Amino acid sequence: MTAITANATAGARTSSRGRGWKRYRAGTFYLFISPWMFGFVLLTFAPIVYALAVSFTNYDGASPLWRFVGFSNYVEIFTESPDVWASLLRTFGYTILVVPLSVAGGLVLAILVNRRIRARGVVRAIFFVPSVVPVVAVAIMWRLIFNRDAGLLNGILAIFGIHPVTWLADPYAFYALLIMTLWGLGGGMIISLAALQDVPAELEEAARLDGAGTWRTIWNVTVPLISPMLYFQVITGIIASLQVLVQPLLLAETSTVSQSSNVPTSSTMYMVEVYNEFFFNHRFGFGSAMLWIFFVIVLSLTLILQRASRRFVFYQVDTDVDEK
Amino acid sequence: MTTTTERPPATRAIVVPEKHRKDRGGDAATGQKASVWVYILVIVCVAIFGVPFVWIVLTALASPQQLAEGAAALLDLSNPQWSNFVEAFTKIDFLAYTGNSLFLSLLTCILTTASSATVGFAFSRFRAPGKKVLFTIILATMMIPSIATLIPTYVLFARLGLVGTYWPWVLWGIAGTPYLIFLFRQFFSAIPMELEDAAIIDGAGWFRIYVRVFLPLAKPALLTSALLSFTWAWGDYLAPSLLLNINNTTLAVATANGYVDPHGSGIPTLQAAAAIMYLLPVIVIFLFTQKQFMGSSLGSSVKG
Repeated sequence: MTAITANATAGARTSSRGRGWKRYRAGTFYLFISPWMFGFVLLTFAPIVYALAVSFTNYDGASPLWRFVGFSNYVEIFTESPDVWASLLRTFGYTILVVPLSVAGGLVLAILVNRRIRARGVVRAIFFVPSVVPVVAVAIMWRLIFNRDAGLLNGILAIFGIHPVTWLADPYAFYALLIMTLWGLGGGMIISLAALQDVPAELEEAARLDGAGTWRTIWNVTVPLISPMLYFQVITGIIASLQVLVQPLLLAETSTVSQSSNVPTSSTMYMVEVYNEFFFNHRFGFGSAMLWIFFVIVLSLTLILQRASRRFVFYQVDTDVDEK
Repeated sequence: MTTTTERPPATRAIVVPEKHRKDRGGDAATGQKASVWVYILVIVCVAIFGVPFVWIVLTALASPQQLAEGAAALLDLSNPQWSNFVEAFTKIDFLAYTGNSLFLSLLTCILTTASSATVGFAFSRFRAPGKKVLFTIILATMMIPSIATLIPTYVLFARLGLVGTYWPWVLWGIAGTPYLIFLFRQFFSAIPMELEDAAIIDGAGWFRIYVRVFLPLAKPALLTSALLSFTWAWGDYLAPSLLLNINNTTLAVATANGYVDPHGSGIPTLQAAAAIMYLLPVIVIFLFTQKQFMGSSLGSSVKG
């Protein structure tokens, strides 16, 4: 790394990032990013627009005899589909529980494994591994724990003399789904840990010298400093929770996909409802309308959070400001 | 995440001193000494996070009789039923499904990594009109609910006659992944400009510079990307369950749906054994490459 500044950098070079002049090569740039542009247009933009088009029809996925039905799918959702709204409320409830619990839990674990404890690497790996386990294996693991007759959870409850609970049926399926989701919070832990290791020790020491206890130091110094990272987890967590589909499908008692309506009511999230409309009732038009309502909800929430974040998220002034 | 491009006004601002960060994955002596309470908390958490792994092994080694007797009987390991694994392997064509999964995961891994690296490189090295807007779009696509997009994608592919083929994975691979594009952009941005100057003076074209100079330097990022994309493809359930059929589907779908008795209810012992076999490659990859996995979290790049 011989730092011969071959180009005219304005002022002193504070970072090794490519500052100064970037090469102006529009043609090459567009050639290099063409794979992504193709993918974005064909695999993201097109399906969403296609869903919008389908949502104004009564297409059933097979019959060529579909026709335009105007807004009637939307009207039906808004006026005569109590199940849709119930599932949406359920999904909000699930999100409101999962996101804070997993972000806070991940932060607590990150703080724990950031201390000098024995076998730190092993402990960290044990916390993190559940988040890389494929969802099918996760669902099978938890189905075995929630199993009514031979499951671990009812076995533990039996020690205390509690009768076996049918965890995977109403009304408990919701809690089973919640517990299973929270088991994977190690992914958030790793993100928080990376942020914690960026926090200058001097600041925490200064707080301690000023007489702040452990909790106060964490709450008033550490959390604000890593708030961009926590905010990132909240946003991605909300989007992931709102669109939860595979977990309730796989957690349901029978695993044959054709019987998708076997998902118990209490874990029938919004996307499960959409899935049933598409693949069980074959109402592609209605399902697409539901999807578009979902897109609008997610987009609005993201924008609201983006605005709110200006008040809660604290961005430190970096010493090396990237030119963009 | 527009935070990387637009810095919202900070309510308070302090200049943080130059950080002396230790190796992120290593055992740098950060944090304080732990107390007894911390240890108790850690042990409880380890038990909670570890117990599903123990339980699935116990179930996979249980006999139908033990299962019928209830949870306590599973703790009896005097007669472990290794035959469950054999049976799980033969009840469905486990080997063929493994081959399908391996093929799709490798395909995804190679294409996604190559494509994401190329796109990330372009964003780190070139200036062009519209670049900033396009990068904001890439970051915004991270926020698009992918599962919600997959269902209309399925309908679209069904009309194009791509359902039941592996072409969707080729297309997804070529398109790259926003997260990995971001990763590569960060990586390449850290490489000083002087590096390609010599090559430019020699008159090498950009494609050659990219392949000869930059890709060899990007080995750590390439490895991380390959591992992540392989694991994602291996673990994906929804796409193969919608887009493939019983003959060419992946191990994920076969493991989830293949172990049912004639009445249509699952056989827990076989499901457990199959899930362990299906899961093992991921765990092995993880144990050998923890650094790449753990270092791949967006790190300090999400910071404003």
